[in-house]
Amino acid sequence: MAATATPAVRPAVRPEDETRSRDDIDPGYLVICWNDPVNLMAYVTHVFMRVFGWNKQKAEFHMLQVHRQGKSVLTRESLEKAEFYVHQLQKYTLHATMEPDR
Amino acid sequence: MKLLRADREGFHFDLSPREKRLLFDLLKFYPRVPAAHQRLSRTAQPQPNDENQRLLDDAVTAHREENKRQILAWLNEPERFKPTGAGHRFTLSAPQMEWLLQVLNDVRVGSWIALGSPDTEAGEKITLDERTAPHFWVMEMAGFFESALLEALEGE
Repeated sequence: MAATATPAVRPAVRPEDETRSRDDIDPGYLVICWNDPVNLMAYVTHVFMRVFGWNKQKAEFHMLQVHRQGKSVLTRESLEKAEFYVHQLQKYTLHATMEPDR
Repeated sequence: MKLLRADREGFHFDLSPREKRLLFDLLKFYPRVPAAHQRLSRTAQPQPNDENQRLLDDAVTAHREENKRQILAWLNEPERFKPTGAGHRFTLSAPQMEWLLQVLNDVRVGSWIALGSPDTEAGEKITLDERTAPHFWVMEMAGFFESALLEALEGE
């Protein structure tokens, strides 16, 4: 059996490109609605339906979460979309913010 | 304020003379929420050159200016409120319903802030005196009209 010749020059080992997941680049933002006891429950439900296009059941679920737990995470979006939703909710004077999802 | 019917044209309401006066008085309070009240983030510390916050502030200012312009147009449009025997009749399109809800809730929340943002759900009481009574009245009246609009939308 013939011996395998050792190449004079070994192939260079190219280190892998450092990659980052999409979430590292844009971590995503949580759109949060906080409880302001002044807002009518029917009003908050209505706003969620209008802004997110949700059905009444889903809108009421999040409204009750805001009411009982003090806040509700409404959606997770890219920076631009989260800003858009926060602005839409604030147009209705709801207490909404966006926080990085870390 | 009573919903007469909702059709393709919009929502048709009947308003007593007293309710019309109240609604007009409330609209004059807009905007009532302090300009710096809305923040983009609750956790991030406000930065003097925060571009995103500045953009939000600009958008809120533009939105308020547009709302103020619409309110003035509304109050000065004699055709909007048609006299009937016992009061007035007026029609709101679906976008106008949304607009009026936003304006009324600004007035309501702004009045609540003026009262010191009491957490009534946690049992905090609102003490009525000469200073607080007008804010309380405005807050409650705005809530009254909001409820009427929401009730109308509910049956949509």
